[in-house]
Amino acid sequence: MGTGRRATALTLIGIVALWEIAGDLDLVASGALPSPSEILVAFWRDKADYWPHILATVRTAAIGFVIGNAVAILAAILFVRVPASERLARGINIAIFALPPIAIVPVLVIALPGEGARLALAALAVYFPTMTAMTVGLREIDPRVVDVVRAYGGGDGAVMRWVRLRSSLPALLGGLRVAAPNAVLGAILAEFGSGSRYGLGAYLLGSLGRADPARLWGIGLAATAIAGLGYALAALAAKRVTDASRAVTIASGAMPPAKGRGQQRIAIAVASFLLPFVVWWLLLWLGGLSPIIAKTPLGVFEYLFLPPTGASARERLLAALVETLPITVLGMAAGLAVAFLLAVLGAVRPGIVRALLPIALVTQTMPLVALTPLLVLIFGRGIAVTVAITVSVTFFPAYVTLAQGLAMVPRAAFDLVGAYGARGWTAMRLVALPASLPWLFAAARLAVPRALLGVMIAEWLATGRGLGNLLNQSRGYLDYGMIWSVALVSVLVSVALYQAAVMLERVATRR
Amino acid sequence: MGGGGRAVVIEDVVKTFLVRGSPLTVLDHVSLACPPGSFIALIGPSGCGKSTLLRIALGLEHVDAGRVLIGDEAPDAVRRRGEIGIAFQDPALLPWRSVTANIALPLDVLGRRGTARDRIPGLIRLVGLAGFEEALPGELSGGMRQRVAIARSLVTDPDILLMDEPFGALDLILRRQMNVELQRIWLERRPTTILVTHGIDEAVFLADRVVVLGGRPGRIVGIVDVPFPHPRPTTMFRDPAFHALTDTVSALLAGEE
Ligand SMILES: Nc1ncnc2c1ncn2[C@@H]1O[C@H](COP(=O)(O)OP(=O)(O)OP(=O)(O)O)[C@@H](O)[C@H]1O
Ligand SMILES: [Mg+2]
Repeated sequence: MGTGRRATALTLIGIVALWEIAGDLDLVASGALPSPSEILVAFWRDKADYWPHILATVRTAAIGFVIGNAVAILAAILFVRVPASERLARGINIAIFALPPIAIVPVLVIALPGEGARLALAALAVYFPTMTAMTVGLREIDPRVVDVVRAYGGGDGAVMRWVRLRSSLPALLGGLRVAAPNAVLGAILAEFGSGSRYGLGAYLLGSLGRADPARLWGIGLAATAIAGLGYALAALAAKRVTDASRAVTIASGAMPPAKGRGQQRIAIAVASFLLPFVVWWLLLWLGGLSPIIAKTPLGVFEYLFLPPTGASARERLLAALVETLPITVLGMAAGLAVAFLLAVLGAVRPGIVRALLPIALVTQTMPLVALTPLLVLIFGRGIAVTVAITVSVTFFPAYVTLAQGLAMVPRAAFDLVGAYGARGWTAMRLVALPASLPWLFAAARLAVPRALLGVMIAEWLATGRGLGNLLNQSRGYLDYGMIWSVALVSVLVSVALYQAAVMLERVATRR
Repeated sequence: MGGGGRAVVIEDVVKTFLVRGSPLTVLDHVSLACPPGSFIALIGPSGCGKSTLLRIALGLEHVDAGRVLIGDEAPDAVRRRGEIGIAFQDPALLPWRSVTANIALPLDVLGRRGTARDRIPGLIRLVGLAGFEEALPGELSGGMRQRVAIARSLVTDPDILLMDEPFGALDLILRRQMNVELQRIWLERRPTTILVTHGIDEAVFLADRVVVLGGRPGRIVGIVDVPFPHPRPTTMFRDPAFHALTDTVSALLAGEE
């Protein structure tokens, strides 16, 4: 542990030193990578500008965090009390997990006035991790304690109140740890896409045109620091609570899951697919917005298929999709490949990976919108930057999943092939690779939405092609029908890719 | 609530579990009548279905045949009024609640407020945990946790008391002490009590009637009535008449009739 930490610290110092030299000598892309000292100087110079932006971002993130978590906690309680409701909400949950936030920012700006859109995006960003963590926490309880509550006449409500809520706390706090930086990233993305005046996202947007890489880096690092701080605070709270309340003994049996009948299951699946559309339609109806700017599902259909302009709209949409989809899949594959190599490397040579991991962590907490301009500075505006962005956002969650999978390969399996003289890479090929295959699909499932988000942001900001660009242009032209259509298509594509990964995973794990 | 227990009648109960798809009969036509205010000890080899029988008496486990009556009601109704006290084989404490709060759990679930809590300090003293009122279960030994569960089973001042090997994790001295305390509590309030135990002398010392179960599938192999009047002094453990009875129970347990 101690040596590992020292190695990490040494690597970090080494990297900062190299960075300083490279920056001072303008080695990377002729000055696109400013040195840490230049960034600090620029930050000091601009410090008066930063505060209102930082405050606005923290405010949006904090309010969104509270709203999103409140909804997530209530939803989790509902899902556990009424299991059918979880199956019913599956469509909504997957959509929320898979939607590329950038795709729905313009739609949210139309549908919600003022600050609402930004808060909604921050809230959406925290909903999923908290909801899943809380649901698991509420479910995994000690059946022996449930018996005690039932022995005194307690029903499901009493079990929820006296057992489930409190025992879900560690899981909930674990979820909040993921949710906290998510809220910051969501807030910045929303500020960026909504054209608000304040917030780091707005500041970034305003600084894009100026040839001032040091400032872009400063904003990016400030955003990273805030997101990291959110994570640290949540982690601290989690640690304080979990310490005192570990179960003393392990329960022998788990609660059996309830199952419905075949027909009922299909009905619920269909309803769960339709529900997101119903909610969409209902929200607009409740908001009382003009159908010209706020399109219902039917409105999108009309826009694309009824008027004479529909054909050209469909053509543009299809063209954009054809540009976006292959690069998403390509970028995702590249990200997974990097993750896979790193995970395998980590299993064979743990030291190297442990030293590299902190850097990977920083790039993960750096908001994508802040990272993109920096990568554009380095990679230019072509395909390369899109792939670079996609790889950088997909590889980390994939890596974590794969590394976990590899860690679960029993040592005995390695020892066995080792006994026959297989070492290092051969052992890897014989044992680790087959064992980690199912995990590769689990990793893909996590990577899908991030890949699409990465590609769309690159398109929006840099390359001027594909769905991201079409969305940005349509905002400029006030082409409301197209804005809604792009949002819908992006979410559908993301959900479809996600479901494909789920199916592949099922096939792979069934063997 | 109130003094004096009610009859617990278990009539011709059959219980089958599905174990990996195949049925396993755990209780095979078991009948047991506990008169109001009586003390029944249930003894039998491990795995013969004692805990299952207790859960059935509590109404937590459904039966394949037969029925359970408490007074003239189904156990569910009685349970909901909080008239049954139970100490499960496993203490099953909430890890985040202190000793005091764990003992108070039945009161919380039943929604009893006010003076109901006043008896908790006395119960803590009774089970010898004075000074540990605010300790968390993780900070207690196995035997101490079991004593918390015993106190918890008494906190509602129950009419029916079901105890599943409550003294299993205690040393012999403490076990004797707790036996005497349990007898005192039972004499004071006379709850109808079913005590599951592996201790033959404990069963004979406390009970009016010792019911011996045989295993696979569980059924009653013998009933031994204990004629000694209450309160019984601890000197009884050395009494030849006492030993004659424990020998009878051991013989039944060993299957010698
Ligand atoms: N929920 C269950 N599912 C399947 N089988 C069960 C279940 N509960 C108990 N059994 C089985 O029923 C039988 C009786 O169990 P029970 O716990 O009643 O035994 P016991 O007499 O209390 O034993 P011990 O003295 O060891 O506590 C055992 O064979 C056990 O495997
Ligand atoms: Mg038992």
